[in-house]
Amino acid sequence: MKARKVKALDPDGPLGDQLERIVRVRTAELFAFMPRAGEPDEVAHLHDMRIAAKRLRYILEIAEESFGPYAATASKRTKELQDLLGEIHDCDVTLPRVLALTGRARAEDVETARTKAGAAKDLEPKLASGGPNAQAYRGLAALATYYRARRELLFDRFLVFWEALQREGFRARLEYAAAERPGGPEPSADGNGRAGEPGLRSALSTP
Amino acid sequence: MAKAREVPGLHAQLSYREAAAATVRVRAEELFDAREGVLDTEDIERVHAMRVATRRLRAVLEIYRPCFDADAYRPVLRDVKALADALGARRDPDVQLDALSALAAAMPRTDLAGIDLLADEVRAEQAQGNELLAVALAETERSDLHARLLGLLEDPA
Repeated sequence: MKARKVKALDPDGPLGDQLERIVRVRTAELFAFMPRAGEPDEVAHLHDMRIAAKRLRYILEIAEESFGPYAATASKRTKELQDLLGEIHDCDVTLPRVLALTGRARAEDVETARTKAGAAKDLEPKLASGGPNAQAYRGLAALATYYRARRELLFDRFLVFWEALQREGFRARLEYAAAERPGGPEPSADGNGRAGEPGLRSALSTP
Repeated sequence: MAKAREVPGLHAQLSYREAAAATVRVRAEELFDAREGVLDTEDIERVHAMRVATRRLRAVLEIYRPCFDADAYRPVLRDVKALADALGARRDPDVQLDALSALAAAMPRTDLAGIDLLADEVRAEQAQGNELLAVALAETERSDLHARLLGLLEDPA
């Protein structure tokens, strides 16, 4: 997934302002994946959301010192989200792999049984359980069950986590923190940030 | 995972360009200091540390992209990505083998043959990944990626 372009970055402008622009775009990028990524079958969408979380996490790692105090919390939350989405992704990658391996193992055992049967009129039933992978099926089935069930469990956790982020006011608080500069001027009395910059009031109205 | 090294003198009022130079210098050093012993499959933390360092460097290169000369920047980013891909080709099987080993310890003995079958496949991928990584590390040396990274800082946009 290609990252959205951040416009009007000025190499000679103050670092804090450029990072703020990037954080706003990366935050919007992450939030654009919901509610669609909240559908259990939207595997590709969820994978792209993980990449978006990773991009936001890395910019926050760099930017948190330049922003207000909530940025450090947002950085931690974004890492938690990225890790959770990463665990789900592992299940999404490994389950089809286990199923494909089971299919290949079975095909090998079928071929072995057919070879052993030679020109017989019918297949001896015991040949079906004597293949080279006969002992592996139980473990492969257990692995498939494990990854499917774990995926469901982790996905439920993701939905709960995302709801908790909404309740916490993650996006609005992050956007407010991005407009703050430690040691710099306080946000103005009208609740907004520096002149011409979106502040708390406008950030809270962001969907 | 090692904590990212602090970038001295970084603050919100510093120019974006100055911040780019200071940050890329530290992240590049971090990457090249992590090279030692990464091809040792017995110690999977080394390759992990170098992969994390590569990710951090790639992230700062992308974040500070407007501060660099585009013609010099593009091949450097491409080579950092190639190194990151090679580290991933080794690291991903490392992680899978670790997870399968934990599963094998927790599941009944009757399930082990199936887990071993998958682990054998992953072990083969780990060996292939290590070969890819060896080639990528040699290419990084040959093309003097470190010097080219530092060169970006001397020839800004």
